[in-house]
Amino acid sequence: MSDENGPDTGKPAKKAAGAELVLPVAGLIFTIYYFTTIIDVPWTAQVSAFFVGTILIGLIIALIIRTVIQVRRGEASLSLAPLIAPRDYVPKRLALLGLTLSYVFFIEWGGFTITTFLFLLCSMLLLSGGKKKGLILTISLILSVGGYFLFIVVFNTRFPKGPVETMLHGVF
Amino acid sequence: MEIDWGLFAELFGRTFTFWWVILPAILLGLIVGAIPGFSAANTIIILLPLTLAMEPEIGLIFMVALYASSRMGAGIPAILVNIPGTAGAAATPLDGYPMTKQGRAQQALAISFVSSVFGGLLTTILALLAMPWLSQVAYHLHSVEMIVIMLFGISLIATIAAKDTLKGLIAGFFGLMIGYIGADVVYETPRGTFGFLELYDKVPLIPALVGLFAVSEAFAVIEGESILTKRGMEAMQKAGWAETWEGVRLAVSRWWHIIWTSIIGLVIGVVPGAGAAIASFVAYQQSKTFSKTPEKYGTGHLDGLVAPESANNGVTSGTLIPLLVIGVPGGATAAIMAVVLQYHGVTVGPDLFDSQPELAYGAFTAMAVTYAIMILTVLPLARYMSRITVVSTTYMAPIIISFTLVGAFVPRAYVFDMYLALAFGVIGYVARKTGYHVAAILIGVILGPLLENYFLRALRISQGDVMVIFSSNLGDVMWVMLIVSLFVPMYLDRRRKRQAEQAVPTTTDC
Amino acid sequence: MSDFENDFSRRLFLKGASATAGAGALSMLPIQAAFAAAFPEQNIQIFVPTRAGGGADRNMRAFTSVWKNYLKTNFEAGFYPGAAGRVGYETYMGKAKADCYNLIFGNMGPEVLNWVVKKPTFDLNRFLYIAQVDQDPGIVFVSKKNKKLKNIDDIVKEGKKRTLNVGVSRLAHPASLGVVALGRHTGAKFNLVPLSGGRNTRAGVATGEMDFGALPSGSVVRKQKQFDIVAVFDKENPLPNRMKKAVVVNDHFGMKLPPLYAGARAFGIKREAIEKHPDRYKVLTDTLQKVYTDPAYKKAVKKTKAPWKYIRYGSPADCEKYVKYITDIGAEYKSLLTGKS
Repeated sequence: MSDENGPDTGKPAKKAAGAELVLPVAGLIFTIYYFTTIIDVPWTAQVSAFFVGTILIGLIIALIIRTVIQVRRGEASLSLAPLIAPRDYVPKRLALLGLTLSYVFFIEWGGFTITTFLFLLCSMLLLSGGKKKGLILTISLILSVGGYFLFIVVFNTRFPKGPVETMLHGVF
Repeated sequence: MEIDWGLFAELFGRTFTFWWVILPAILLGLIVGAIPGFSAANTIIILLPLTLAMEPEIGLIFMVALYASSRMGAGIPAILVNIPGTAGAAATPLDGYPMTKQGRAQQALAISFVSSVFGGLLTTILALLAMPWLSQVAYHLHSVEMIVIMLFGISLIATIAAKDTLKGLIAGFFGLMIGYIGADVVYETPRGTFGFLELYDKVPLIPALVGLFAVSEAFAVIEGESILTKRGMEAMQKAGWAETWEGVRLAVSRWWHIIWTSIIGLVIGVVPGAGAAIASFVAYQQSKTFSKTPEKYGTGHLDGLVAPESANNGVTSGTLIPLLVIGVPGGATAAIMAVVLQYHGVTVGPDLFDSQPELAYGAFTAMAVTYAIMILTVLPLARYMSRITVVSTTYMAPIIISFTLVGAFVPRAYVFDMYLALAFGVIGYVARKTGYHVAAILIGVILGPLLENYFLRALRISQGDVMVIFSSNLGDVMWVMLIVSLFVPMYLDRRRKRQAEQAVPTTTDC
Repeated sequence: MSDFENDFSRRLFLKGASATAGAGALSMLPIQAAFAAAFPEQNIQIFVPTRAGGGADRNMRAFTSVWKNYLKTNFEAGFYPGAAGRVGYETYMGKAKADCYNLIFGNMGPEVLNWVVKKPTFDLNRFLYIAQVDQDPGIVFVSKKNKKLKNIDDIVKEGKKRTLNVGVSRLAHPASLGVVALGRHTGAKFNLVPLSGGRNTRAGVATGEMDFGALPSGSVVRKQKQFDIVAVFDKENPLPNRMKKAVVVNDHFGMKLPPLYAGARAFGIKREAIEKHPDRYKVLTDTLQKVYTDPAYKKAVKKTKAPWKYIRYGSPADCEKYVKYITDIGAEYKSLLTGKS
């Protein structure tokens, strides 16, 4: 379980500082990339980003120094454990991520209703470990059909439309 | 501008007879408010054929009721599942969601409803009373002053970062950098867009919001059976009507808090273009600054929930003022209302009080009546709404992912935005797992571009003189207030710790 | 609303469906008139590169509400704002089929000016504007509350004493260029402050942060209680009754500026579509010309509160001429618009 907006890593004896560096390193790479896009532009486009970006780089360097000191003192390790803990859930989580990516990828072709139905069905079955098939089927069906009425019929959103929407277009 | 109280009272009674318009509008507003991506503004656009067909008076009542209730609706998922329905509710989960996890969802909802309604009702009346003065606010809060107001909101990053200042600041500044993606406001030079045209107009808020909060949450919660803690689950099993009443009692006991935080919302709402997000962050920050128990913020503290909810409803009343007094809408929803009225031949502006007072006052009475009806109809629902939290994560996580991705798509209808929400989901997940505050990142993403816009505008006006930020008397007073509100809590905190050390061993704050 | 729903993908699917009409599962789909010979046999998709609910939206709705009667089909609008219209042009219209079923409803003023400042990734010649719908001149306006600046002469006089801040929607905008040209001609100092959109610009002028503003007239003319329009960049004052204080910049200052239409909305199409389906293109152009003279169109425009006087048909040749003109003037002021010398 995650904490409300913050961390919730089971604390090992040594602080896993490696994981803590993932976001700052990503931030550092992004900031450097950002800087490369504003080298040759009017100063108005540079001023805020250079100001904030320089502070961010400074903060990240400070964190890296802090981590190095902690590792040297033996208070922390460069482990990435919190990122993947608990390990038992890694396959499930990766599978859910894969399903989510496929959902977004296929919605352009399959349309909202059927893609949502399949996503809900597959991901709930994944999380339940294949149990309660009937209930999951019912929930997926109700939500995707309900979603169709709410988003497409009532709110007329410009969702990609697939076979279901096309078929029902004349009806609603 | 003389206020015609007789007419006002008559209109008040008359508005109640339109309950048949207000009730469906409230219901619709709650729904669209609760689904990220939908808002009162885009719902009114979607329903244009309907609103245009209505009589102007009924159309206005419908739109105002929808607007006010959508604001309240946005707080519901923020509290129950950590997903703010709109950017204006982004500060609500900070304390609302911890309450939910403790099994106090019903209480939290009741607190949110009461704060929203009383905050909204009070500011509606205040707006009417103080209209001539409040309308002056927009004449004085220019770019320079807005820079300071933005900094009030952004300083919340430092407040949130209390536990590990360095990591908190990294999260906030990373958010600011992400917020600077897109074209600058002066020469429209694209920056850091990875070549995506879809990012030229800055990072869209809803995908960032649902990604950081909801998608990451969904990936995190699958480890447990429910989003509730074990004790929370037990509390939820036992919860009855008493919980709702307890919530009402708690909220009412904080009446003074509701008053002053909703006034923050009202004043910020009056400034064209400022909006609910900044108001709720500023209210939260101020609430914590002047609190006797700042260390409890973020753990499910009553005041931390009351402040943003009162403030964002205060904004709703505030945005009507510039619309009616100077003819310039305070926000997107108000702008669309003006378009609809225009269609009926009603030009919204200062003359409306003379030409069609029933519409000018009607906007405020409709809002007041909506709030009155809302408290009666929505409060009893808190108990049933809160049951959603006991649903197993097996069902909850996929539903959250699917419906929030839908929400990410809706505002711009780009499938790109769904991928973007997923990318923010990954950032949010890494942040949660490694001890960075997603709210700090989000504050940066939301307020960063606003701050930059005002800053560049001020610089453009001064033709490049940076000292322009200290060029206004009001602005200078606000700078002093900002510095005071940043340093006083530090001083008080240190004093409290010293006192605590003398009594008991050090306690960790949040 | 149904006329305007955006189901572009549905149609693409339908096209696929008609190609594979033999497939049993698909035969139940309502392929309305899929085998009819006449154009159009399905709805026409319009890509609007601006926000829903704005001026382009109202304008397009009014036009298509009448055009559909002549074309005997419905229109489906998709709004793709973003990157000053580039998302609509490049990402959506760019990918659409060149079959005369896909049109863009763009603005030859600011959008084309934008291409000059930032070279688009596509070849501009791929699109052709086939009919101008309206033209809305750029204007200069002041707040009625402004005690010092009451007319254009006050503005120029004051501008010679100190630099005046001018609220504009964006720098790359015909109205903004008008102000710059006026400053160069008179020697008055004007500092353009881009405020991102008409609403913010009006707010900036109304609250007194800006000394005056420059926008398309349509965005200000309806707010006569708050603002005075004091100058217009056109050959003549198109609405003398509604813009009483407005002088024609060219006449008043002896300038030779060509008209700066801040709004010049037009339907556009891919050239490839015209080459592949000249018959369909003819149907489109023949029917759309009938709209301008239809009384129902006048009624629809009046309902949007837009001045009827601004509705003007422009042929493809007119449009091309205007695009060239805007491109040239954009090139002249490029350094000013990009901040690079």
